Amino acid sequence: MVSTAEDPSMVLIARKDLKMSAGKLAVQCSHAAVTCTLNARKSHARLVERWKNGGARKICLRADDLETLQRLAGQAQAAGLVTTLVKDAGHTEVPPGTITVLGIGPAPRRAIDALVSDLKPY
Amino acid sequence: MGLRSFLHRLTAPSPSGQNPKGPCKMVCVVNQGLKMGKGKMAAQVGHGAVMATMKAGSIKPLYLEQWLATGQKKVCLKGTDAEHLLVLEKSAKEAGIMTTLVHDAGHTQIPSGSLTVLALGPDTEEQFQAITGELKLL
Repeated sequence: MVSTAEDPSMVLIARKDLKMSAGKLAVQCSHAAVTCTLNARKSHARLVERWKNGGARKICLRADDLETLQRLAGQAQAAGLVTTLVKDAGHTEVPPGTITVLGIGPAPRRAIDALVSDLKPY
Repeated sequence: MGLRSFLHRLTAPSPSGQNPKGPCKMVCVVNQGLKMGKGKMAAQVGHGAVMATMKAGSIKPLYLEQWLATGQKKVCLKGTDAEHLLVLEKSAKEAGIMTTLVHDAGHTQIPSGSLTVLALGPDTEEQFQAITGELKLL
């Protein structure tokens, strides 16, 4: 399946500095994915449909620290994209209230690429 | 409240089905037979979680509501291989737990169509005990 710049995608950006285990990372990312999807269903219903039909593309990237995450969240919101910051309840591994993952999308890939093109895959 | 949402509230069917007995969680079992990177795994679990959420919305809306309201608790466990995941799926189905299998499109890292994740629930913790109680945390 070839995707074009207009096809909707979702990015999950995790903080590398927290050194989360694979399971923790997966759980935090899926929090972001579920919350993003539910929020987007209200505001961007058609986009969500297209995203799901195209295979619900998701990509997991890494960011260096909290500042990067918050900066990206601000930029994404300013661009009118669906954004979710995941705050961990802190039952395990990290202190309560730690922001772990930023979810952006579903949104056209062009809009996402403009924000996160300099980040590496996790 | 807008007129449309007001009308919707009047005409929408009331949520049906039974209430969950006790706190709910979602369990994702990851296929450890595949050599996936951490990020890949996270994205696959994300697929499973979103699909399971959508499914719950139409099958067990009350479970979904309770799960969302209590912080959408999720747990990631290790499964040995694809067969193991299928066995777990079968026993979960028999216990009445909602199941979702995630097959990868295979754009990166692993062959196309591989079974990567089994997402279970949301359902009550005691329901899960018998099925995934013995698995290790990822």
